[in-house]
Amino acid sequence: MTQSATSPELLPAIRLSNVCKSYGDHPVLKNIDAQVARGEVVVICGPSGSGKSTLIRTINRLEEISSGSITFDGQNIHAPMPTKALNLLRSRIGFVFQNFNLFPHLSVVDNVSMSPVRVKGVAPDVAYDKALRLLDRVGLADKAKAYPAQLSGGQQQRVAIARALAMEPPVMLFDEPTSALDPEMVGEVLAVMKSLAAEGMTMLCVTHEMGFARDVADRIWFIDAGEIIETAPPETFFNNPRHPRAQRFLADLRH
Amino acid sequence: MINDMIAIISDHWLLLLIGQYPNGPLGGLANTLILSALSIALAFPVSILFALARLSKWRMLRWPVTALVYITRGVPLLMLILWSYFLVPLLTGADVPSFVTMLTTLVVYQGAFLSEVVRGGIVALGHGQMEAAKALGHSYLGAMRFIILPQALYNMIPSIISTFVSTIKDTTLGYVINVPDLTFAANQVNNQLLTQPFQVFLILAIVYYAICWSLTQVANIIERRITRRRAGETRGPAVPAEPRPIALEQP
Ligand SMILES: Nc1ncnc2c1ncn2[C@@H]1O[C@H](COP(=O)(O)OP(=O)(O)OP(=O)(O)O)[C@@H](O)[C@H]1O
Ligand SMILES: [Mg+2]
Repeated sequence: MTQSATSPELLPAIRLSNVCKSYGDHPVLKNIDAQVARGEVVVICGPSGSGKSTLIRTINRLEEISSGSITFDGQNIHAPMPTKALNLLRSRIGFVFQNFNLFPHLSVVDNVSMSPVRVKGVAPDVAYDKALRLLDRVGLADKAKAYPAQLSGGQQQRVAIARALAMEPPVMLFDEPTSALDPEMVGEVLAVMKSLAAEGMTMLCVTHEMGFARDVADRIWFIDAGEIIETAPPETFFNNPRHPRAQRFLADLRH
Repeated sequence: MINDMIAIISDHWLLLLIGQYPNGPLGGLANTLILSALSIALAFPVSILFALARLSKWRMLRWPVTALVYITRGVPLLMLILWSYFLVPLLTGADVPSFVTMLTTLVVYQGAFLSEVVRGGIVALGHGQMEAAKALGHSYLGAMRFIILPQALYNMIPSIISTFVSTIKDTTLGYVINVPDLTFAANQVNNQLLTQPFQVFLILAIVYYAICWSLTQVANIIERRITRRRAGETRGPAVPAEPRPIALEQP
């Protein structure tokens, strides 16, 4: 094989091949085949219970899969591996939860700087400075010493994004990052995500914010009943959805 | 009667305080406190290990510890003390001092009780914290150490103190295997005086009560402080409906 054919730059960042997952005999993901290119922003949408969270959580192996494979940087995430290797892989995939899941016993800056210190062995003062810069970037430099409980939902979610970024992941996954927020706080979180996308971050994002999808996504994956039944650039998806179920989904959204 | 009691104390305070020491083993109140402190100091880490074992996905770890915890919790402490007193020397052939027998039994017994509290504290945090830690690349034990246990243990401080209180009370059972503690000393005094059992054992009760009462007060103060912090959190921003861990400021 030539150097260029295997060069990591040319591999997709994430590739899902034939991914299936069932809970008992209830299939939740059916033959998912998809890939995310480097720097691409993918928005996953679909009806409630269609398997969006399950799909995105299999990518950093918070969920196991029943069959198929998911590669990240050419490594099969679901291959048997020592837990150390899995932890290393996970540390390179940022994940933002619907419920933020900040560490309530730590101050905001400690939330952000702790994992680089404990997981990557970064020197505490270096991690601390970096955390302050990241907090500045998400607009929360003045909250560094606060505790999560003292922040609004939108602020907490921005801290959670900073916390994920502190590990310098090449890929960020978001599972409905704005669904738990009061409407007036959605914008501040989307703005941070938008700026990330503009800087070329590879992103995979489950969201119902169709405005964000339209503006920021390179591709939409529409998932229904555990299957990706349509993938298209946003203009195509929103203006000319091919699949009847995608049409119905979009029609329901407009109401 | 008060005069009798004052007389007893002024005649026998040294025996009640330190037992026969330095002519015999250390005893009395000093030994009671040392036994209690050692028990809780060892039972605490043991309870964390038990709790982690019970939450482990490895059956080899989970099952024996679960059985141990169930048995320990289902048997009177006195039985356990007598068992270790008579069985351990039989099994090991070694002559174990009664203080060590008592200490070991108390550690296992209180460790089992406390492990249920620790386990409850960990489970009450919900999955979110562990998932967030994993997603950042923390190992299971790293997540436990830096994220889960600090929260769970902080919430447990009042339970830990009340376990300390019951440990102090439990040390009195050492009497049956001749651990020279405060109860033992009081009984020696009673055997010397013969005529004033009520006064002697009232002194004993008052001393235990004073120690346990003070500790309970400390527990109450801490509990109120934690409750206030929790209340402070619910006044905060709207949070999702999922069970949420307790927010705290740096202790
Ligand atoms: N732990 C579980 N055990 C059994 N079934 C589950 C479990 N988690 C999810 N499911 C089922 O899997 C399916 C997909 O769930 P998932 O949470 O991925 O959907 P979703 O698209 O994220 O939905 P939502 O928009 O409501 O978040 C649902 O039918 C759900 O009931
Ligand atoms: Mg979901």
